[in-house]
Amino acid sequence: MKIAGRLILVVILAALGFWLYTVFFPNLEKVVLKRVASLAKTVTVTPNDGNITRAAKVSSIISYFSTDAEIHVEGPEIGNKSITGRDEIREIAAGGMANVSSLSVQFDDATAHIGADKQSAEVDCTARVSVKDSKDFGIQELHIQLKKIDGDWLITKVETVKTLQ
Amino acid sequence: MQDENDSKKQPGWIQTIVVGRRPLATLVRILVLVAVCFVLFTFVLLPIRVSGISMEPTYHDHAVNCVNRLAYLRHDPQRGDVVAIRFSDPGAFARPHVMLMKRVVALPGETISFHQGHVYINGELLDEPYLKNPCDWEHGPIECGPNQYYVVGDNRSMPFEYHTQGLADQRHIVGKVLM
Repeated sequence: MKIAGRLILVVILAALGFWLYTVFFPNLEKVVLKRVASLAKTVTVTPNDGNITRAAKVSSIISYFSTDAEIHVEGPEIGNKSITGRDEIREIAAGGMANVSSLSVQFDDATAHIGADKQSAEVDCTARVSVKDSKDFGIQELHIQLKKIDGDWLITKVETVKTLQ
Repeated sequence: MQDENDSKKQPGWIQTIVVGRRPLATLVRILVLVAVCFVLFTFVLLPIRVSGISMEPTYHDHAVNCVNRLAYLRHDPQRGDVVAIRFSDPGAFARPHVMLMKRVVALPGETISFHQGHVYINGELLDEPYLKNPCDWEHGPIECGPNQYYVVGDNRSMPFEYHTQGLADQRHIVGKVLM
């Protein structure tokens, strides 16, 4: 009985140790996915967010992108649109933040693939966007490219993916 | 004395209702039930809630349904099947959070076109008794590649370009809508 108890204790301690290891030293996929999920949180605005909060969010959004980042969007209602560089992203984000009372963004079903050099990554996810507490939402498959620049994972390219050809 | 011992062994009625006469057996039953539900609703039947009107009148907005993930293990999707199509791949063992619900109208290798709102497969009119709304689409012809299915909603009253439809790769088809 004593041996069984000790064995259980060892197993619990090993599991705890492994869990702590994954917390302090997460694998790169998890780091990248956390970064992308954090962007969705930053883009999300509630009606309670004032102008200062929204301005801070715009600055924060910019910090997720590289200076030469590109965003290519294609959809039936908006056509083809391309945004290039942090300044243009800032302009669009500021305009968007000022014009919506609330915006909810989620990146679901995200998977990350780390490049062989461990300095680049690609994320595939499904963006779910809803405006003004509406229960209806827009859905778009996204392909996001990131690069590790000065120790930070920065988005270099975002493009929409056509799920149905 | 014997009666006293018996009354000690008999669990109270509250305990009988809450955890049963044998709590350990109840716990095991609960664990088995949770495991079965987890496996069933993750790998076999995916519960879904319809959002939007693109499958009206067959499936109404906010209706609840299930997707059978095992439907296409033994055979490929058939014409007329209502299927769930995933967006990005969440991984083999994960369940997608959002999916498209569409009807298969053309199979791999077939050519589909829309003329005066009717679907033509390889030039032949397709009978679609499930359609109730008027449609005036003119589009195509589009050829389905190998492993590609043309999927479209049942509500075709909106303009063609505002209706999500097109060629779906077989690997994107999660399963068949159950009811």
